[in-house]
Amino acid sequence: MKTLFQQIGEKFLSRLAEAKEIDEKKIAQLRVLFTDGKRLKAEELVKIFSGADADQIK
Amino acid sequence: MIKLETIHIEEMRGIKKLDLDFQKQTFAIYGPNGSGKSGVIDAIEFALTGQIGRLTGRGTKGLTVGQHGPHVDKVKFPDAPFVELKVFLSDLNKSVTIRRMISSPKKITVVPEDAALLAALADVAEHPEITLSRREILRFILVEPAKRSEEIQALLRLEDIGETRSTLNTAQNRLVTAYNEADALVKSRKSALQLHLQIPVMKPALLLEAVNKRRKVLGLPEIDELKKETKLDEGLVAGVGAADLNKESALRDIQALVDAEQKSGDLGKKEVQAIVADLSKIEDDPSLLAALQQRDFVEKGLSLVDKAECPLCDAPWPDTEHLRGHLKEKLAKSEQAKKIQDALLKNGSQISAKLVQFTGLLPPVAKIADVLGEKDFSVLISGWKNKLEVLKPELTSVDKIRKLKGQLEGDWVAKPENFSATLAGLDEKLKAKPDQTATIDAQTFLTTAQVRLSDYRDALRENETAVAAKAVAKIAYDTYCTVLEEELNALYKEVQDDFGAFYRALNGPDEEKFIAKLTPTAGSLSLDVNFYGRGMFPPAAYHSEGHQDGMGVCLYLALMKRLFGEKFSLSLLDDVVMSVDSAHRYEFCKLLKTHFQKTQFIITTHDRLWAQQMRSAGLVTGKTSIEFLDWNIATGPLVQSDEGVWEEIEAALAKGKVDSAGAALRRHLEYAASMLADQLGARPQYRADGTYELDDMMTSVLTRIKKLWGKAAVAAKSWKKEGDEKTANEKIHFLATCDGAARVEQWAVNKSVHYNVWANFGKGDFEPVVNAFRELMDCFRCKDCGSWIYVVPRVNPQSLRCACANMNFNLIEKKE
Repeated sequence: MKTLFQQIGEKFLSRLAEAKEIDEKKIAQLRVLFTDGKRLKAEELVKIFSGADADQIK
Repeated sequence: MIKLETIHIEEMRGIKKLDLDFQKQTFAIYGPNGSGKSGVIDAIEFALTGQIGRLTGRGTKGLTVGQHGPHVDKVKFPDAPFVELKVFLSDLNKSVTIRRMISSPKKITVVPEDAALLAALADVAEHPEITLSRREILRFILVEPAKRSEEIQALLRLEDIGETRSTLNTAQNRLVTAYNEADALVKSRKSALQLHLQIPVMKPALLLEAVNKRRKVLGLPEIDELKKETKLDEGLVAGVGAADLNKESALRDIQALVDAEQKSGDLGKKEVQAIVADLSKIEDDPSLLAALQQRDFVEKGLSLVDKAECPLCDAPWPDTEHLRGHLKEKLAKSEQAKKIQDALLKNGSQISAKLVQFTGLLPPVAKIADVLGEKDFSVLISGWKNKLEVLKPELTSVDKIRKLKGQLEGDWVAKPENFSATLAGLDEKLKAKPDQTATIDAQTFLTTAQVRLSDYRDALRENETAVAAKAVAKIAYDTYCTVLEEELNALYKEVQDDFGAFYRALNGPDEEKFIAKLTPTAGSLSLDVNFYGRGMFPPAAYHSEGHQDGMGVCLYLALMKRLFGEKFSLSLLDDVVMSVDSAHRYEFCKLLKTHFQKTQFIITTHDRLWAQQMRSAGLVTGKTSIEFLDWNIATGPLVQSDEGVWEEIEAALAKGKVDSAGAALRRHLEYAASMLADQLGARPQYRADGTYELDDMMTSVLTRIKKLWGKAAVAAKSWKKEGDEKTANEKIHFLATCDGAARVEQWAVNKSVHYNVWANFGKGDFEPVVNAFRELMDCFRCKDCGSWIYVVPRVNPQSLRCACANMNFNLIEKKE
């Protein structure tokens, strides 16, 4: 029995994955944040968004 | 899916000790106000979720499950109150018993203990919205659109969603600020490089032209292409020129700083003025200041909540959700403060970006001073740079910006004393030095160009990361908003259609044109309903209170249906349809029976008629309903039910307590007579005050049942149903001869006399009375299903039957 919050979270993550505009690694990290049941924190998001893409040449 | 089987409650809310058997069926609890009905709802909710809705949310300040969950006499014995709830989880096809104590609401004991069962129960615990009280219903209907949106959001627990959106937005804003600073750094370093190379635009060809000109002087090979790994001073002996200056370039650096420092008084002037104006507004309005301070403080606190204890004052809370809700409510009250907060932070971010550009001019000049032996000036310049850079983090929160007000109102750039003159002196000193040889000029030019190109490339890389991070944050935020809007719009559309359909079903032809429109707009949710084809209006405009009650429950059911679909298996309705009139209540029962066949409703009501209607309509039976007769602080609810009453009487008689047995018999007969009068269509003498005496009621019931069995016998004979005819005649004979029926008027006299008479009976005298009434009452019940018999339809009945239909007697004679 998913809550609306969970439904929206899942759809959000699958929409991001479909669009392929965001690196898979980042989406995987977001999935952890959205499903661990803890409150989302802005600094954690900033860290994920600022991370290097998995296929980025440094 | 979950269904309730049984519950055992001890020392909780108004209940001392109570056992109920829900039988996985819809169950009704009737009782006057204050008889303990809602205590049962609280106990179920507590067992399932660890929360009690009535002790949380608006208007419950100071109430906690820990302190106010126990029975008032057991507050100091936190281990005494507990609930044991047996539930059936249909997905797992297993029953499980949950035990939860008030002293540790987060912890449950589960038997059998099994990972799948625990996971299913944890899932259920996430859904406190299964309970709905009348207070919540009115909050959906009789509120302003913005409030309705909040209330529905609370029901759907949309606050978590709103918080997630807000956190994504905060992350996006922080990355925009980071990008602004990175962008400013790129501009500053690009400008420094162009200034040194003396090129008007940053193009590789122009850069290489300037560099190759010097390389040629030094006999170094020209660079054909500017690549990532290209070093402009490649070929120079290591260290050559690094410690020296390029005179012409250094003069330009000094001039650039001279130009900038002369205008430093105007640095970020517009933004600084805006900040000072906003801060003055705050100072002039103490309530705004308080709201802003509180906002800053509460935001910090909210971000730190990770246990049921306030991170700001250490005060204990029942749970983290309660605490977060309290802090969010405080934030919502300060919208004006939020606007000022946003403006202050935006202007602060812009000043930071300008500072990055300005301070970028200082290090080259500090180096010049150092090389020219002006160590003190070099230290002064570096110190000024550090002082200005210290301001950047101070511009990132309202609290910090407020502390800067005095500084921002004055010469906040704080140019060091005699700076201009000293800088002019440095310029003169440099100019006075002999011109460099072509070789030295070329060497220092290349080393400085390489340093500045490296700095520029670093800034570009940082900026690239900042741009990417900003873009990702924007995509994530926009996607979340889009998904949220799509889901909510779809939900509201479906909900409004279901809501209209349910309401039409509830009101029948009376409201056959009823439609509803839910319109979500910018954080609010308008609800308009059709009023008899005259147009769309807010619910409270023309509809009666009863109709609005009906709308509330229909809206709740529509929301639950759309949220949970087939999984909507349990709902606790606490006194929610009190104002719906009697005709519409049958329709309400029909609505629940037809549209929510898989849902178990636990319904409480203080309205006796409504309780009877639920039985008559077949929503509940005698076995799945209970009456709380009264309540007192020592005993909790005084329960009336069909089950166990005779055992209760026998037990009292065994202890010689004739008065207790008499009271129990009286209560049961009053209950049964009242219900049978309703179900069989008996006609006791009408009383405007509705207070029917037992003898009146029982006599009319006996008259009625004799008549019905007579009709059943005649009808059976006409249809040649010998078995039915025989049974009907046996019933008639029994009623004519049984002691209970014969002595009803004698025994069931009015309360005062009656109690006195029975109380004075000896055990031996009273036992025959009990046996006679037990025999009589059994005559009104099905031996198979135990339900009380009733007629259908209620007007001009055609059959006399029981719930399982094993008793089903035709009352209509065959026409010749």
